[in-house]
Amino acid sequence: MPRPTSPVRAAPFSGGPRSLSAKPVGRSRARARREARAAYALIAPAIAIVGVFILYPLGFGVYISFTNWPLIGPISWIGGANYTALIHNTVFIHSILFTLEYTAIVTVPILVFGYLLAVFVRSNRRGSTLFRTCFFLPFIIGLSTLSFLIYVELQPGFGTVNVVLSKLHIVGINTPWTASTGLALTAICILVVWFASGLTMMLLMAGMQSIPEQLYESAGIDGASWWQSERMITIPLLRRSIVLSLVISIIGSLLAFNQFFIITDGGPGSSTQSVVMQIYETFNASMSVGSASAMSVVLVAVVGFITFLQIHFLSRDDV
Amino acid sequence: MFEQTARRTEPSRRRARGGLPLYLVAGAMISAIFVVPLLWEILRSFQAPGEIISPPSLKSFSNLGFHNYVELLSSDDILRNVMNSLIVAVATSAITALVATLAGYGFGRFKFRGSSLAFALVLLAFMVPFQAVLTPLFLELHYLHLLNSLPGLALFYTAFNLPFGTYLMRNTFLQIPNELVDAAEVDGASIMSTLTRVLRPMVVPGIATTVLYAFLFSWTEFLGALTFTTNDSVYTLPVALVNVESSDTYGQINYGVLVAGAVIAMIPCIIIYVALQRYYVRGLVSGAVKG
Repeated sequence: MPRPTSPVRAAPFSGGPRSLSAKPVGRSRARARREARAAYALIAPAIAIVGVFILYPLGFGVYISFTNWPLIGPISWIGGANYTALIHNTVFIHSILFTLEYTAIVTVPILVFGYLLAVFVRSNRRGSTLFRTCFFLPFIIGLSTLSFLIYVELQPGFGTVNVVLSKLHIVGINTPWTASTGLALTAICILVVWFASGLTMMLLMAGMQSIPEQLYESAGIDGASWWQSERMITIPLLRRSIVLSLVISIIGSLLAFNQFFIITDGGPGSSTQSVVMQIYETFNASMSVGSASAMSVVLVAVVGFITFLQIHFLSRDDV
Repeated sequence: MFEQTARRTEPSRRRARGGLPLYLVAGAMISAIFVVPLLWEILRSFQAPGEIISPPSLKSFSNLGFHNYVELLSSDDILRNVMNSLIVAVATSAITALVATLAGYGFGRFKFRGSSLAFALVLLAFMVPFQAVLTPLFLELHYLHLLNSLPGLALFYTAFNLPFGTYLMRNTFLQIPNELVDAAEVDGASIMSTLTRVLRPMVVPGIATTVLYAFLFSWTEFLGALTFTTNDSVYTLPVALVNVESSDTYGQINYGVLVAGAVIAMIPCIIIYVALQRYYVRGLVSGAVKG
């Protein structure tokens, strides 16, 4: 068969990057070079911005964490001293334990409520789109704005939470929510579950809608109950979406800051300080740059490890 | 087959379970859990300053008005902070959309040496939580004279929206059939005119998704703005509200102003989301968001 002289794309399928491996001859080799140059120019701004404002700081942070980095005077390499100091830093250790406790409390309720909401809105019945929007509104508004509002409503004497709960004889109208670690954590956890369930709902709903309807029909013919078909069909096929939403919610909890900073400011004492808040305080209040960087490196490592586990779990799952 | 037609024309048994009225009533009740608190706060923002700090009763809602908004926009100069938030959010959305579209075009439609390495860098950046690089970034922005500056804040937000935007736009460009681009080439269109004339209509939904995420992120972001600004004049709205929360002008926090400010922060999110929500869901399906 005579080879066509004009540059013809080898790939018969559509989509995908242009295949330049189709024996470029003459004109098309020049075009390949021109296209490569164009591609470099196209991606250059993105790579530059990401490099300067994300990847460089990431490396820079690791470097700083091995130095004393004083505000004035020469910088000196101190090896792992910042890290060994962290082990003896009781406030930092407490913030880790507190963040883990908080994460442990909110993760399962967010998953369960998100799952139930997703079951409720997954069909395309009349009204389901509107309900989806309503359930998702708190997430869209964001935790900083919601934290300011709940801060007002938790105030003793006039906050709506206290007024309503005292009418129901659950707590007194002057309950000082932010003055007690347990009460503050309770209030914040309820706020966060209310805030984040909508996101899990959206993620799980997308997964549920891709499950073929026939499976439920045959389960129905076999006389399976609602819970049986959820357990035997939905949950196994939804594994990927469940893992994804769990990872997103766990990472979000480990990085919590807004709600603690705004509602309790870490108090009483430093009992409700999250890890990110501890980093912020170490840097902002005590200007310990090296120490704050070491804490950040620990945080990146933990978050990276969870992401790695997720990728590992999901790719093994495919086989 | 008859079963398949039945499935297509009428809802399945699973979906049909429970009557529609029951579904709507249940849905309205659950929706109330999410919506009523927000409506309640909007109502509270119109209470007079003295009434907002007394236990809510019928009487305390008898004098609704714009007291808090007037005070917020005049004495506390929060109008400037609202404008700062708006400028930063619009600039972030615009730059992110432009840069991510170009990069997505490059990654999605061209094969070049180093392509997978460059894309791996984008994915690596996607996994870095901004909360964990604030300290080194603070020092870097200090050297670049980008602290206490709206362009600095917009660049920071752009950087952390770009990995997702680039990923999304690359997928968008990958889905376009090659034949279409080839036809444009035969017509002698240049690389850029192929993008602006031929491909544009097909990538607009992707761009809308990128803009939506970038806007919502930068409008509501708190920790970065708190770290990188120390001057009233460049505060964004959430940071300015911290000042309201902690300022003891007369030994008293102005709760009315705080609620009104939070309502101002809340409204654009709701409007933009309701208008563009189908693009938001596209983004959720195509990639993960960060919490």
